[in-house]
Amino acid sequence: MSLYERLGGEPAMQSAVDNFYRRMLTDDRVSSFFDDVDMDGQIAKQKAFLTFVTGGLAEYTGKDMRAAHAPLLERGLADEHVDVVVEHLGATLADLGADPKDIGEVAALAESVRGDVLGR
Amino acid sequence: MSEQVGERRLSGATLRNGEHEIALLEGETVLEGLERAGLDVASGCRAGTCCKCMLQAEDPPPDSQRGLRPTLRAQGYFLACQARPEGTLSLRGAEAPPVIDAVVESVEKVAPDVARILLRPATPLSFRPGQYLDVVHPSGASRSYSIASLPADGVLELHVRRVPDGLVSGWLHELAAGAPVPVRGAFGQCFHVSDDANKKLLLVGAGTGLAPLLGIARDALDQGHAGPIDLVHGGLTPERLYLREELDELAARWSQLRVHHCVLKEATKREHEGRLDEVAIRLAGTLSSTRAFLCGDAEIVRVLQRSLFLAGIPSGEILADPFLTLRA
Repeated sequence: MSLYERLGGEPAMQSAVDNFYRRMLTDDRVSSFFDDVDMDGQIAKQKAFLTFVTGGLAEYTGKDMRAAHAPLLERGLADEHVDVVVEHLGATLADLGADPKDIGEVAALAESVRGDVLGR
Repeated sequence: MSEQVGERRLSGATLRNGEHEIALLEGETVLEGLERAGLDVASGCRAGTCCKCMLQAEDPPPDSQRGLRPTLRAQGYFLACQARPEGTLSLRGAEAPPVIDAVVESVEKVAPDVARILLRPATPLSFRPGQYLDVVHPSGASRSYSIASLPADGVLELHVRRVPDGLVSGWLHELAAGAPVPVRGAFGQCFHVSDDANKKLLLVGAGTGLAPLLGIARDALDQGHAGPIDLVHGGLTPERLYLREELDELAARWSQLRVHHCVLKEATKREHEGRLDEVAIRLAGTLSSTRAFLCGDAEIVRVLQRSLFLAGIPSGEILADPFLTLRA
């Protein structure tokens, strides 16, 4: 059973994405990257990302991830910001009841898209 | 059901797409059925998350609407990758609604730059209060305006702000009773859904964002909504607020409705003063079980959306209708 299923599937992802996005918007280290984005679109993308890292997606391509973050690279998006994402991801999952082992696995999966996000 | 296609049995469900019918196989989703029939359907995650395969149908399986906004569910939108229907599922096409002839019933100045315009359509227009329609100008240009009236009113009530040098708004403001105005609609996802009669509703809008909110409030009351409804109308100064007496009368008639007037400056005893998002949050109280409707200028709606989300309203319960102003 994947972490996605154990956490409660789609309804859990819906509350997780709100939790996660509130953390990102209120963190001065990363919030400015969200100043001009459409909230509904952003929530949908982050929900897909959370579904992916918890094992709820059959397949995933880094192509969209790469294209979506390309403009942010010019605004200074770097490793330290990805670290913040991983940090908030862990805190969100802990809120949902995931254990440290699960969170470690999720962090590893999130790390696998670091290259796409940073255009490497 | 003993019929078989290849190795797989038919599920007994049928997909109707215009004149075409597709018999679904056992366990097959609508998306898979459409693809097997050779149709090119947009899709992405196939896990009910990315929403790329969203389609519209009459009464889709509720499972396939999970995670969609209540307004999308009410309009029959569903995720094809999650839908395993029983019986016949009729897909709805994406054809644009036809242009309908309407005539001006009245044009009433309600604020220095705002007119309340009533249009009587020659044939009924199907809409939900709060949705918008396109008004088609003789030049062919069209602009969108939200509908403040109910279908039972028989007229379409629009609140039109006169944009400086605005082609369509200037034209509408000068029309006389009886003048023809072609309209097309309705569109939009910002309307009342009566899925929980006790839910707390927070309606916040600036300027002519009042039009959809008035329609939504009246519609909710008309459908027997019992939970509290807070309508917050904002403007720069008191004279920019309009239809105040009507709103106050509506609130006096319905105990569950509270109307608040809010200005950025020069408040009198009748208005709250401050930023619209801050006033709305202060007035609304508990937000985690509230549904919000946010209408008006796109920039203001974006601020409201973010503030109310951070204050605790779930993202799936925030229905936003940002107005974009086009220059002539």
